[in-house]
Amino acid sequence: MKPNQTLEDDQRLRQVLRQWTVNPPLPPRFKEQVWQRIARSEAQPAPSLRGSLARLLEVVVPRPRFAFSYVAVLLVLGVAAGSLAAQAKTKRLDESLGLRYVQSLDPYRAGPSNP
Amino acid sequence: MKKGATILLLGLLLATAAFCGFYYLGTASCRRMMRGPQPELAWLKKEFKLSDAEFARISQLHAAYLPQCAARCQRIEEQSQRLRQLLSQATNMTREIQFVLAERARMRAECEAEMMKHFLDVSRTMPPEQGRRYLAWVEKQTFLHGQAMEDRHHTEGGSQPAHQHQM
Repeated sequence: MKPNQTLEDDQRLRQVLRQWTVNPPLPPRFKEQVWQRIARSEAQPAPSLRGSLARLLEVVVPRPRFAFSYVAVLLVLGVAAGSLAAQAKTKRLDESLGLRYVQSLDPYRAGPSNP
Repeated sequence: MKKGATILLLGLLLATAAFCGFYYLGTASCRRMMRGPQPELAWLKKEFKLSDAEFARISQLHAAYLPQCAARCQRIEEQSQRLRQLLSQATNMTREIQFVLAERARMRAECEAEMMKHFLDVSRTMPPEQGRRYLAWVEKQTFLHGQAMEDRHHTEGGSQPAHQHQM
């Protein structure tokens, strides 16, 4: 085969391929089936709160990574809240004892029963 | 589901235990102080970082001051009662009312001077830095900070009189 003839055949093949179009026939009731599938997906009920909670308890919480993070976060929150509450209580008590000290010495700062 | 609920509950229990534990530990020193015989003096020891010897000396000063203070207050109260009695009968200013007013003012001044002397005695018993801090603190907390009467005659700026007495 001559090289010129090969080149010519290739060009013809390309031209034929460009012009070739495929028009496969759609399956019967194709449109109707598509609309039915859309309708079915829209009609599915949203997951209920109870269902979501059940799924959370059954699937999400028992995962080791989630369980560890949950317990760790609550522990840290408990420690922080306890420390802050103790700090506030100590501050209040310090102020009240300071006032008691002053009232024990300064009659002008004492209660209304003192002169 | 049971495992998940157990983990949730465990987390809540741990958080509650952590809160209670840290609150209990954080307030332990306060509870100890309140159980003592004189919590306000225990507070003074803690607040101004006093040694045991300094605290013992200040407790002595405190104990010695209180009866004298009570006696002065008693005398002022007697003068106040006498003044109320005189005012209930008087329609004009009398020499006796003036005398009682002056006498009560003198006793109050004496009371304030003794109080000031006590504060200075206490501050000298403390380490110098704490003593200065103590004096600054009592100045804010006591009669030394100023009276409502004086404050009333000043505007917020503190320099111009807000109003003048009618002469």
